[in-house]
Amino acid sequence: MTLAAGIDVGSAAVKAAVVRDEGNDPVMLGYETVRIRRRDLDEVVRAAYEGALARSGVSADDIAYVATTGEGEGVPFRTGHFYSMTTHARGGLYLQPGARAVLDVGALHGRVVRMDERGKVLGYRMTSQCASGSGQFLENIGRYLGVALEEIGELSQRADDPEACSSICAVLAETDVINMVSRGISTPNILKGIHLSMAGRLVKLLKSAGCEGTVLVTGGLAKDEGLLAAMAEIAVERGLALSIENHEHSILAGAIGAAIWGAFRHKKLAQRRALPV
Amino acid sequence: MNAPVKKNVVKEPSMLRQKEMIAQHFRDLARAKEQGKKVVYTFVPGNLTELMLSFDCLPLHPEINALQSGMRKLSGEYIAEAERAGHSEDVCTYVKCDIGMMLKGNIGPTGEKLPEPDLLLLSYTGCFTFMKWFELLRERYKCPTAMLHVPYQGEGHFTEEQVQYVVDQLRSEIIPKFEKVTGQAFDIDRLRDLLGNSARAEEDLVYVLESAKKRPSPIDAYFGGVYYIGPLFTAFRGTPAATEYYRMLREEVDARAAAGQGPITPDGLLDEERFRLVVEGPPNWTHFREFWKMFADEGAVVVASTYTKVGGTYDRGFRHNPERPLESLAEYCLGCYTNLNMPTRVDMLTNYVKDYEADGFLINSIKSCNSFSAGQLVMMRQVEKRTGKPGGFIETDLVDPRYFSASNVKNRLESFFQMLAQKGQEVPA
Repeated sequence: MTLAAGIDVGSAAVKAAVVRDEGNDPVMLGYETVRIRRRDLDEVVRAAYEGALARSGVSADDIAYVATTGEGEGVPFRTGHFYSMTTHARGGLYLQPGARAVLDVGALHGRVVRMDERGKVLGYRMTSQCASGSGQFLENIGRYLGVALEEIGELSQRADDPEACSSICAVLAETDVINMVSRGISTPNILKGIHLSMAGRLVKLLKSAGCEGTVLVTGGLAKDEGLLAAMAEIAVERGLALSIENHEHSILAGAIGAAIWGAFRHKKLAQRRALPV
Repeated sequence: MNAPVKKNVVKEPSMLRQKEMIAQHFRDLARAKEQGKKVVYTFVPGNLTELMLSFDCLPLHPEINALQSGMRKLSGEYIAEAERAGHSEDVCTYVKCDIGMMLKGNIGPTGEKLPEPDLLLLSYTGCFTFMKWFELLRERYKCPTAMLHVPYQGEGHFTEEQVQYVVDQLRSEIIPKFEKVTGQAFDIDRLRDLLGNSARAEEDLVYVLESAKKRPSPIDAYFGGVYYIGPLFTAFRGTPAATEYYRMLREEVDARAAAGQGPITPDGLLDEERFRLVVEGPPNWTHFREFWKMFADEGAVVVASTYTKVGGTYDRGFRHNPERPLESLAEYCLGCYTNLNMPTRVDMLTNYVKDYEADGFLINSIKSCNSFSAGQLVMMRQVEKRTGKPGGFIETDLVDPRYFSASNVKNRLESFFQMLAQKGQEVPA
């Protein structure tokens, strides 16, 4: 049995997960998510890691491999670092074994990673530079409208007449939103309009990457049910055979994937008698 | 969280030689009027350098000035000046940088004032913006203009009739204009001598570019490549100085290859070649070193690029030919990269990926360059389909610093390198 921890350092939050691997069936024992909020990153990483250990009922000494991903290459106590594309793919597969793609929508970018039944990455596509920062943009709009990030999804689903907004540029979209507020458009209709514009680009991304079947949304916006509903609507409109899903632990996909990769690497090193001292 | 920066930046001797050649050229330009030399403004693609030199003219390339201004962090100010003068944000930033520099006194990259043109010579090789650019300069300088119309290679190849059409223009329009401006008679033997020098230099340039087929590649054919093409693509083609430069460069590259060494990067010799790439599109000049470092830090080496073909597709076999002087100048212009149709460009990229055994290819799409950027997403899909290798897509600009978002570029490059890294990797159960 191998215990491994995965730490995913994102631009808005640090996610940590502990995985027990007994061969072919890894199990997540516990996890922790800590928002960065301009605090010292080392402290946030430490808090996430220790939180995940405590919730897993294990101590740091039990962990054979600490795997980082995302921006975690500088974490001083890491054993190794893994690219986020491979960790999201493997973590996504753990959460949804039927998924053949993960759509990672976070504060910095939207990225789709296509994979096979083993989590091997087959291809990827990213949003263009002008559509970067989707998550951060939504958070800014929420702040402008006086809506908490967690409320956005639910409010959006109450829309009855969504108002279209620019899907190319966040600056243009913010101008659209200011104009909508002054015209008295309701908050749900504004939010749904934004969701539809973001969803339009993300679905296009899925199509251009050649995705079919189940897609698991990971990253910070995975919990936004309004965005998922908008993506599902657009996929149906465009006749695409896509099932766009999330999971209660979607945000942990990178950390879980890193932990699974860490356990795998540990076993390989042990076989070669090359474990780090 | 980046790797520590290595110290002791190493510069290739050929790079230092080139720097001195360029400095001397700008000194000559600054003294051109007092020495009675005629100055010809022209562009890199389709340049007729040997013809200019045969009339003792000094060539000056506005787009080279622009990229030099970009590398010297001056372009932002020049572009702002051009925009204040009414040029739109969407206009090519080479143009705006040049216009802005002109409006601010036309001080060249080496700090000396550039001379006004005695002739504007436009070889039209597919970039419509060049034509509008020279219309602006003509308005300003009120000097003679010569335009060589080069037919676009819409069918993917040129015909004898097209060659003849260009040669006829050289005879009836371009050469008489040079004779009038300089007061000198055309000397075809002098042109032949210069073309002979060009062919030797071209042979060595191709040798250097093709050295990237070795593993590890002793050169970076994009970031290093833009230096290697310098003399041949600008004022020196046909000169003994250029021929000597390429002989020296070839020896340098041979020495690195023999020692099993990689290219020289901003931080010195590259330790390990992890990824071999083909790159389409011009580089960003305002953050050139930072951009290069994003590749070098990941062990990514560009083994072939299309931008290093804008001033001539010599690796496709073309050489200037002293036996057919005007015809070979015509064929040179017809074969310039910007004059090629999209299927030919896709063919070139596909062949580069295969011939240079690249792991993937990358497109640097330039915000303000329609000639290069139009159709690049389609090209990417075509090359991916034909080679089975992953393609990456990033967006920057030539010399407008506002369009270089380091974190966005790095973010995308990291994803691209991640894709390449996991190829052939064993996956956990």
